[in-house]
Amino acid sequence: MDRMSSGQKTVRTVLYWGLPVLAVLLIIVGWITFSASHPDLMPAPVDVWDRFIRTFTRPIAKTTLIGHAWASLRRVLIALLIAWAFGIGFGILIGWNRKARAFFGSIFEVIRPIPPIAWIPIVIMWFGIGEFPKVLLVFIGTFVPLVINTSAGIEMVDKINLHVGRIFGGNDMQILKEIVIPTALPSIFAGIRTSVSSGWTTVLAAEMMGAQQGLGSLVTRGWQGSDLSLVLVAVITIAVIGALLAVILQQLEKVVCPWNSK
Amino acid sequence: MEQQVKRMEIRHLSKTFFSKKGYFTAIDDVSFDVYDGEFLVILGPGRCGKTVMLNIIAGVEDATEGQIIYNGKEWKGLNPEIGMVFQKLALMSFKTVIENVELALKFRGMKKEERREIARHYIKLVGLEGFENYYPKQLSGGMQQRVGIARAYAANPKLLIMDEPFGKLDAQTRYQMQEDLLKIWEKEKRTIIFVTNNIEEACYLGDRIILLSDCPAKVKEVYPIDIPRPRDMVSREFLELRTTISDNTDLSI
Repeated sequence: MDRMSSGQKTVRTVLYWGLPVLAVLLIIVGWITFSASHPDLMPAPVDVWDRFIRTFTRPIAKTTLIGHAWASLRRVLIALLIAWAFGIGFGILIGWNRKARAFFGSIFEVIRPIPPIAWIPIVIMWFGIGEFPKVLLVFIGTFVPLVINTSAGIEMVDKINLHVGRIFGGNDMQILKEIVIPTALPSIFAGIRTSVSSGWTTVLAAEMMGAQQGLGSLVTRGWQGSDLSLVLVAVITIAVIGALLAVILQQLEKVVCPWNSK
Repeated sequence: MEQQVKRMEIRHLSKTFFSKKGYFTAIDDVSFDVYDGEFLVILGPGRCGKTVMLNIIAGVEDATEGQIIYNGKEWKGLNPEIGMVFQKLALMSFKTVIENVELALKFRGMKKEERREIARHYIKLVGLEGFENYYPKQLSGGMQQRVGIARAYAANPKLLIMDEPFGKLDAQTRYQMQEDLLKIWEKEKRTIIFVTNNIEEACYLGDRIILLSDCPAKVKEVYPIDIPRPRDMVSREFLELRTTISDNTDLSI
C-alpha cells in the first residue's frame, strides 16, 4: 500500500499544501463578509492594512510599530534570559537533590498554580509601572513552567542509567552532566517552549495595564480610542511574532537534541 | 588448568528486603569463587536474586550479609575494575555509539583523541565499524547490545559482568551473538560472569555453570564443563549435560 503512482503523490502534495492555504483563505473571506455587514464591530482587512502602514508614517508614542514590537520583545527576552538561568538551575537542583526538593518543593507547590497575571496588582503596587515590574512579571510567568519541566525531566532519569554512570566510574557532577541533564533536555526544552509563550502572554497583559511603549500598550490605546484597526494591527503582530518564536525554538531543539529527530 | 587464581570470592552473601508488609529474601547464603580468566555462567531460572546479586558484586547495592573478596582482600562498594553489560541495555539514547562506548574513558578524564581511538578499536571488535555516529535508536536490538559490550570492554575491566545480555533478542540473533561473544572473549581475555536463564546458552558459553535455585536464590550445583569449543549444540555430550542440568532445575513459570 506504500507505493503510490506519481499522480497520486502530486494529488497528496497539493492537498497537504492546499488545505492550510484554504483555511487561511476561509478566515479572510469570513472576515471580509463580517466586516462588510458590521463595520462598527470589525474593520475590513484593507482598513487594517492602511492602519498598519500608518503606524510607520505617524508614530505612536514617538515610535513605529517596530519600536513597539521591540519594546515588548526586549522585556520578554531580558526576563527569559534570567528565567532560563535561574529556572533551569533551580529545576535541576530540586530534581536532583532530595533535600532541596523537600525544602523548596512545598513553597513551590503553593506558588505554582497562581497565574502570572494575578501578580500584576501586587507588582504594580510595589514597583510602579516602569520597566522593572514588567520584566519581573514576565520572569514570574516564565520561571514556573521552567522549574516544573526541568525538575520533572531530571526525575525521569532511569535508575539503571545512574547505575551505568557509577559502575563506569563517574562522580556525581559527571553523572549529572553526562547522563542526567541530557536525559532531561527534551523536557527542559518543553519548559523553554512554554516559557516563551507564557512570557509573551504576560508581557502583553502587563503592558495593557500601563506602558508608554509595547504591543500591549497599542492594544489598550486602540481600545480606549475606539481605533479597532490599531487593535487588530497589534494583535496580528503579536500572533506573527509568537509564531516566529515558536519556529525558531523548534529549529533550535533539532540542533540541541539531534537524537530526537534522527 | 589446576593452578587457578581466584579473582573473586563470594562468601555467604544474603539479601533481604524489608518492607511494611514483611520481608522478602532474594538471595540466601550464596558462596562461590570466580577464577581469573574464566567464563563463568550463573544459571538461574527464577525471577529473583540474580540482578540484585550482580548489583551487589558491582557495588551499587549493599548486601544484608556476607562478604566479597576481590584479589584476596575484602571489598566494599564500587569496584573500578568491574564492568557491566545490562539486559536492559542501558545505553544513553542521547549519545552516539562512539560517545556511549567512550563513557568510562571520558569519566576518567582521558583526552578526546585517545579515548576515541580506544572506542573505535572496541566498536570494530564487536563488528559495528561504520556505525560510530549512529544513535542507539537507529540500531537493531542485537547491534544495540554490541554497543553495550563495546562500552564495557572499553572501560578495560578485569572482571566483566553480563546480566542476561541476550535475553531480549530473537533466537537467531542470540546464536550469532553467543558465537561472537566467545570470539571477542578469546581475542581479549577477561574474566566474565555471565548470567542467563537459558540452559542451552549456559552450556554453550561457560567454563563452569553455577546453578541457582528459584526464590530465594541459593547455589544448587556447580558444573565444570570440559567440552572443547566451539561446542556442537546437538552433540551427545552437549545434550547429556543439558539434560542433567535441566533435570536439576527448579521449574519457573
